[in-house]
Amino acid sequence: MNPARRRLFWATAAGALAAASGRVAASTRSTPWVCPRLGLQGEVNLIGNSFPAIQHIARIAESCSGAGFRVRFKLTPQARNETELAFSASGVAPFDAAVVSMGVFSTLYARGHLYSMTDLVRKHGDRYGIEERMLVRVDGEVMALAFMQNTQNLYLRQDLFDRHRLPVPRSYADMLRAAAVIRREERDIAFPIAQGFAKGFDLATEFTNVFASLGGRFFVAGTAQPAFANDIGDQAVETLRSLLPFMTPNALASNSDDVMNQLQQGQAAMGVLWASRAVRMDDPVASRVVGKMAFAAAPSVRDGGPPAAHLWWDGIVMPRNGGPRREATFLVMMDMLSDAAVRSGNDLAIWVRSTFEPGRFGAGVDLARRAGARPWPGEPFFALAHQELGKTLPDALVGGRNPRSVLQTAAAAYLRAARDKGFIRNPASSGAAA
Amino acid sequence: MRTREFARFAAPSALLMLLLLALPLAITLWLSVRQCTPELALVTVVQTGPFGTETVTTQRARVDASGRPIESCAMVGLANYRQILGREPGRDGADAGREHRNEFWEALKFTLLYTFATTPAILIGGLALALAVNLVTRRLKGVVIAASLLPFIITPVVGALAIKWMFRDNGLVPHLLSHIGLHVFWMAEAWSARLLIILYGIWHVLPFAFVVFYAGLQSVPQDSLEAATLDGASAWQRLRYVTLPHLAPLMVFVTLIHLMDAYRVFEPVLVLTQGAFTASVQYLTYYILMQENNPFKASAAAVLTVVGISVLLLPLLRKTWREQRRGF
Repeated sequence: MNPARRRLFWATAAGALAAASGRVAASTRSTPWVCPRLGLQGEVNLIGNSFPAIQHIARIAESCSGAGFRVRFKLTPQARNETELAFSASGVAPFDAAVVSMGVFSTLYARGHLYSMTDLVRKHGDRYGIEERMLVRVDGEVMALAFMQNTQNLYLRQDLFDRHRLPVPRSYADMLRAAAVIRREERDIAFPIAQGFAKGFDLATEFTNVFASLGGRFFVAGTAQPAFANDIGDQAVETLRSLLPFMTPNALASNSDDVMNQLQQGQAAMGVLWASRAVRMDDPVASRVVGKMAFAAAPSVRDGGPPAAHLWWDGIVMPRNGGPRREATFLVMMDMLSDAAVRSGNDLAIWVRSTFEPGRFGAGVDLARRAGARPWPGEPFFALAHQELGKTLPDALVGGRNPRSVLQTAAAAYLRAARDKGFIRNPASSGAAA
Repeated sequence: MRTREFARFAAPSALLMLLLLALPLAITLWLSVRQCTPELALVTVVQTGPFGTETVTTQRARVDASGRPIESCAMVGLANYRQILGREPGRDGADAGREHRNEFWEALKFTLLYTFATTPAILIGGLALALAVNLVTRRLKGVVIAASLLPFIITPVVGALAIKWMFRDNGLVPHLLSHIGLHVFWMAEAWSARLLIILYGIWHVLPFAFVVFYAGLQSVPQDSLEAATLDGASAWQRLRYVTLPHLAPLMVFVTLIHLMDAYRVFEPVLVLTQGAFTASVQYLTYYILMQENNPFKASAAAVLTVVGISVLLLPLLRKTWREQRRGF
């Protein structure tokens, strides 16, 4: 290295060092986060889906990094898949903890991939103010820390409902009546209802909501045998079909992003959508309906029945095959899930912590709970049924096939998948679908 | 000596091909005839969480002495293939089976439609564009070429999203069409959804064909063209008997590359329709891997894709092989 270059090298190195130590000093002084002061060592790797609330806690987690300690948070839309692969690896999992939704939790738990956090909660829980309702316990063992929740709510244009003196729909029948009036009276709204009917996850979720609201059970009690190809299933399909005349003909390609867009642009007057999207209705950059949208519990299918919606939570889990930094990981999580984290990101999610202050957009889960919504089905094999329904249901909605035969196809495909995954052991005993 | 030198030169690339092409293919083949199933037992547990206490029927993996879940793996022969192709013995629900269209054959049908609709379109379109640009004055050429290449430069997912936003409800295209009384919902029916993806494919790949043909046009022997002109050949005859034969090898090249690409069409399906009416073979593999989370069945689907591409390319590969042999 010539002298000039050497000088440049040392100057850069010194600058970087100063900047790094300055950042550490600043972060320990001015932030409410505890973990930078703990002198943790090594490296902690986390993974989660990429959306605003998780980006928020990811930033907090990464701010724990300091001299000798590094936290990396991988944000990816493929988080579910990567988590399942990492947690089932035969060696040490590349992630020390993962953010998962309750559906993924039940799969991971069933496969024996999760490590109990009971000891860590006992040791640190009080100091960090962990609340009992954040603890997801299975037979008493803490297997996840839930931090945010979600559900589906009815979004409705209060201004239009007021103008036409329409009551807030409490059932799907009410909703269809309101939709007919709005289509007749409002020239700009050709398709008053917007709902996520996209082939796959969205449509299967709609079916799940409606089927459960009708009192349906997806499986024969105490077994993994499918029980959705029946009268209740037919009725659920018919209910979904009855919405189609009031929805855009593109409905089968409308996912929740598209539905949000249709509502924001004033193209639709009502629809069932994720509660977590409510805050986007008042985003002045993207929305033309600022201040005009109201929220209610999702409608029931039968008069007086529970709403056609489910309660969800997202939480953090640790792998059974985790690395040596289990405790350090847990301490990082304590900052991610702290009161300060909830306060600084209050409007990003419907948080589980009691410090959360639900504003106009954060009351969705309470609305659904009060109306009697139940948690999302907890059977680990439900994800398989859900995915097969998502693939086949479009045939029943637009293909003109009779609902029962489509549901039977889904049930048969589910049985095959459940056998591949070990949920059903004896092929001979499964017999015909339903 | 010559053989040894040849081996030394060829070894690094042969090794790389073995590692990066042959080995993954062999592993995929191996996975496709296996199936691993964890040993699970039905249990009823009490689960508490943010929404209260519930009794849930679930399953729990049996674990060995070290706490590791027990998995039993077995060679299943062609079972994964039969499942994908819908050729299982004793299918569940015979009635449902008859009415239900097998997703693999549906995906194959659309993939072939896409492949055979886009290939001639990009060959003809690319050639026309290249001939047109060749006629443009030198000053404008740079701008025209850069503009024509844009669709090819754009990342496929970004391109597909841009197209989706143009064609969705109240997007630019439906809005303009509504002015002339046409109300088309592009994702609502099979024909329009398929047409949209085919149009996207042509838009995206046309510049590739264009740039290859344009390069070819620069090397058309001028003396042959002049001789043809002197002999009284018309513009069409010069194109037909001098230019096109000169470009023929490039056409084979473009067709070869595009057949491979088209058969693996994926991004527009994922972005534009999420498989509604338009699942492609590659999309199916992705779906099985990511949604069904079944690497064994996905491997079988991947092998079927490779087989499909090989069958499609066979005639062209034979032609190239023969030409190469003649060359030596």
